[in-house]
Amino acid sequence: MALLEVKDLKIAYRNNATGEQSLAVDGVSFTLDRGETLGIVGESGCGKSTIARALMAYCRPGGEIVGGQILFDGRDVRAFSEDQLRELRGKRMAMVPQDPLTSLTYHMRVGAQVDEISRIHQKLDAKAARQHTLSLFERTNLPDPARTYRRYPHENSGGQRQRVVIAGALACQPDLLILDEPTTALDTTTEMQVLKLVKDLRDRLGVALVYITHDLTLTNYMCENVLVMLDGKVVERGRTAQVFEAPTTAYAKKLVAAIPRVDAPAPVAQASTRTGAALLDVRNLTFRYGRSWSLNPFARRTIDAPAVDDVSFSVPAGGTVGLVGESGSGKSTIANVVVGLLTPTSGTVTFDGQDVGSVDGKRSADLRRRIQVVFQNPLSSLNPRQQVETILTRPLQVFFGITGGPARDRAAELLEQMELSPDLLRRYPRQLSGGQQQRVAVARAFAAKPDLLLCDEITSALDVSVQAQVLALLKDIQLKTGTACLFISHDLGVVKQVCDEVAVLQKGKLVESGRPADVFAAPSHPYTRRLIAAASRREDYEDIASGQDAAAPALEMASSTPGKGQT
Amino acid sequence: MSASSSRAIQVLTHSPGTMIGVVLVMLHLAVAVFAPLLIPYGETQLVGAPLLAPGHPDFLLGTDAIGRDYFSRLLMGGRTSITVAMVGVLGAVLFATLIGVSAAYIGGLYDDVVMRIVDTKLSMPGILFVSLFVIGFGRSVVVLTIVIGISYFPGAVRTIRAQALTQVPLDYVKAARLRGESALSVILRELTPNVAEVVVVEFAIRTSSAILIVSALSFLGLGISPPTPDWGLMVSESVNQIYAAPWLVLLPAAFISSLVVGLNFASDGLANALGLDAARGLHRS
Amino acid sequence: MLRAMLRRLMLSVLIIFLVAVFVFLATEVLPGDALDVYLSEDDVAAMSAEDIEKKRRELGLDVPAPVRFFTWFGKAIVGDFGTTIVDDIPVTEIIVNPLLNSLLLGGVITAITIPVAFLIGAGAGYWRGRRPDAVISTASIIGYSIPDFVIGMVLIIVFAVWIPLFPAVITIFNDAPASALLAVSLLPAATVIIGHVAHLSRLLRAGFIEAMNSDYVERARLSGIPEFRIVLRHVLPASVIPTLNAMALYAAGVLSGLIVVEKVFGYPGLGVELIKAVDTREVHVVQAIAFLGAVLVVFMNLLADLAIIALDPRVRSHVSQQ
Repeated sequence: MALLEVKDLKIAYRNNATGEQSLAVDGVSFTLDRGETLGIVGESGCGKSTIARALMAYCRPGGEIVGGQILFDGRDVRAFSEDQLRELRGKRMAMVPQDPLTSLTYHMRVGAQVDEISRIHQKLDAKAARQHTLSLFERTNLPDPARTYRRYPHENSGGQRQRVVIAGALACQPDLLILDEPTTALDTTTEMQVLKLVKDLRDRLGVALVYITHDLTLTNYMCENVLVMLDGKVVERGRTAQVFEAPTTAYAKKLVAAIPRVDAPAPVAQASTRTGAALLDVRNLTFRYGRSWSLNPFARRTIDAPAVDDVSFSVPAGGTVGLVGESGSGKSTIANVVVGLLTPTSGTVTFDGQDVGSVDGKRSADLRRRIQVVFQNPLSSLNPRQQVETILTRPLQVFFGITGGPARDRAAELLEQMELSPDLLRRYPRQLSGGQQQRVAVARAFAAKPDLLLCDEITSALDVSVQAQVLALLKDIQLKTGTACLFISHDLGVVKQVCDEVAVLQKGKLVESGRPADVFAAPSHPYTRRLIAAASRREDYEDIASGQDAAAPALEMASSTPGKGQT
Repeated sequence: MSASSSRAIQVLTHSPGTMIGVVLVMLHLAVAVFAPLLIPYGETQLVGAPLLAPGHPDFLLGTDAIGRDYFSRLLMGGRTSITVAMVGVLGAVLFATLIGVSAAYIGGLYDDVVMRIVDTKLSMPGILFVSLFVIGFGRSVVVLTIVIGISYFPGAVRTIRAQALTQVPLDYVKAARLRGESALSVILRELTPNVAEVVVVEFAIRTSSAILIVSALSFLGLGISPPTPDWGLMVSESVNQIYAAPWLVLLPAAFISSLVVGLNFASDGLANALGLDAARGLHRS
Repeated sequence: MLRAMLRRLMLSVLIIFLVAVFVFLATEVLPGDALDVYLSEDDVAAMSAEDIEKKRRELGLDVPAPVRFFTWFGKAIVGDFGTTIVDDIPVTEIIVNPLLNSLLLGGVITAITIPVAFLIGAGAGYWRGRRPDAVISTASIIGYSIPDFVIGMVLIIVFAVWIPLFPAVITIFNDAPASALLAVSLLPAATVIIGHVAHLSRLLRAGFIEAMNSDYVERARLSGIPEFRIVLRHVLPASVIPTLNAMALYAAGVLSGLIVVEKVFGYPGLGVELIKAVDTREVHVVQAIAFLGAVLVVFMNLLADLAIIALDPRVRSHVSQQ
């Protein structure tokens, strides 16, 4: 008998305003045996997380399981009483949710939150529960379990927090572990460490896994079987390797094709408009965040390491340079220096032969026009109270003095360039899809006819299939206009796809740079090797991570906010 | 926009409390505006025997202790306090929008100074605050309006600044700065439209609170002065009649209560419809 | 934690100073000629120029305002608010008994309001969207909408006029023993409690719902933690924080409410004294009561913020790192 058998599961949500029910999950069936791993993949809103919670017979407010069976060990959990469900949850089935920061109670010490679970289910006394928690912390590779035990959630790094949640989920040795996007909030290398840990624990404990994710490559690494979901329905299922290599349905094909891969061969002879002369030249850039002014004589005096340390690179006119690194690597600081929001502590920034490093806040209108930015999250970068027309015509007015009818025509033209209908001019950002929003943001940048476009993680908030479309359009318009691009990203696959040159940053230092084909084929720095291994989910990741880089344990600390976690 | 406003209308009309609130407020506003056309006698004229009971053929709701028509006084009794409250709070909220949004955007020392002033006012109980002004500047409708404005300004600054602070870190503000927009342009063009809902709800909630305070002041003899009819004042003028003519107390009490209840139901519904938490802004001092 | 608390204490001291500046400005500087504040127009009109000068010197108004402020503030922080203008009695002597009486009434109000509001708010939050919540929410909107003086008058009409259980007006001296005061404080306390229970329970409900909808409660539920324990350990500590944030408003509201009910019922407290002082232009008494009232609110707010520092480790790290 299978451990878990889901038959024709249907879950509906009620719309609060209209009172109508709509199906979020529509007739999903699958089975899972002990020790097996099943991946459920799909883009945001496809119903995958709803299924994860429903396996424990739990729905968020407004949701309801309206049909089907969830047989766990042969018994339908839908028929369980409240008491039976409490026995089931946390003891026989456990869940690791997406964001460990919000999923841990902020006002309780992390140790107490894990203790709680074993005290409830295994009736341990306080002392035994503490011992048990400490051993779980050890098994999940948390540094210094005794100290971690006493910390509050915000005092830990993201990776540590997720380990705490996993420790809690394993407290009662469940038969089934459900992981709902457990690494989405983490950096690539931290993600890899957590994945490795989950894999090890699965093999050691023989627990069955349901792994929910939007990341196909991740299922390939983690799962034997996979379900691909679209709009609440399963559109493809099978052995992961098979689905990955030879998808049968159109949607799955599109998903697989859209994955930016580090291990794929570089696009042959990329079309490029680069002319060779350096448009942006950054020399020996160092930036140190100053301490904020404080009246408090007890204020902690820390000597912060520079956020950017002696970094040099240049962007040729018409070329595309990628800046790669994890959070805390200094990418965003460099971006802020380039656009003039920060003044470098030392070093020079030259744009088209003109020194622009020290003119903080006083840049000429023309210089502002020539360097444009596209931000990570379009919902944040587009004013929710302005129609697309206002968003697009404002730069036209500021930079070119174009207003009224001509501005509207130009705005419509910009939309068409991004393959958007001019009808969208009257819409507000929230009425657009994520991909449409980001295309409007790109159109706004090109309204200024820039020479340099700074793209700050522009695809990381988008679904994979939308990512590919936005990148293709960007590349297209870049070719037409000859605009240079500084492309900042943590996603090696994307960088490999769009850049002629790449620079890798680690903790504010530039560790490697060159043509993407060369860098990715033969990385010379251990950090780059580790990033690539993590991004391509290579099985030998662990050897690369532990064997060749002594700085590995420090990595996780770097990803937490400075000042936190070291108290 | 149309999608969110139609959702708002849906939420508004689905809640019976909100509907009752809106109707009550509309009624009160209509009475306040048209009262001079509706009243049978001058509200300050002595027109009959004192203390006539309601139901009298000439005086619908009887007369007060010195023989003025109570119906006329009741209809006229909300005009002054509603005007004082609305004008004072409108001024306070508009000015608070400018100060709150700019404090959130500019930050630093300016923000610190603004917030310490706000903390100072929030430490002064409303009636104590007003009595300081009354002893300093005397008692008049103009002084009262200005004092109401001053006393509601800091609380509104706090709420509006808090809302603006959620917007300042967003990239559309950064995009505007990079475009070279002036601080004033960022504040007015980019940020203010994004705090508009909070401003509207602030106005609604604080107006009802201001009506409470103006009537309490009138009751205490610190607000609107006789012979102007005012519900709070009418309650305190009738205290000596509670045995003989309790309706003289109960009628104005019912008028003032129904107005504020209506206002609070309406603003609660408004806040819900706009997706804001009305309870946070509630104010009773 | 100690450092965070110390910083918070310093802020309170600053606010008290600013309150003093404000009290002084509003009564003695902004109105133009301070003499107008001390004397009525009729008094001034009846006096000769010489008399006015003499009176000015007598009241110490010939000294520059900043000097007068620091003299006043220096004395005020040790409890000396000067003397009354008419009878030359120390202000402290006049307000000490009413102050204690008001504190007693305010204490009774707070001791009842907080636990009752807590239960009602948590109940409404737990059953949110269902019948008990709808009833409580509607009742509380009505509760905080009705003016204190209306509630007071209605209670008098019902419980003194129609059902004569209580006297309509309290006849008691302001140096009466606490037991006698407690006996008459029932209706005045009830008046203020109704409005404030309504207000506080709304805040608690909001905080409770926010915590109940959080990811951490979902995680705890999916870990099989019993609902009762989730509410007690995870939700309640988080839900009181928004309420604590509103503590200054609560304290200020109770003080305003006290002033009103004391007038309604004739309870011998600070409110009655304040109204009397405004009518007779006893500026020093009004200054003293306004200043003490604000100090009390600052103190309550300090206690609330210290509680937040103790409850929320994130605030603790934040405040001590500022």
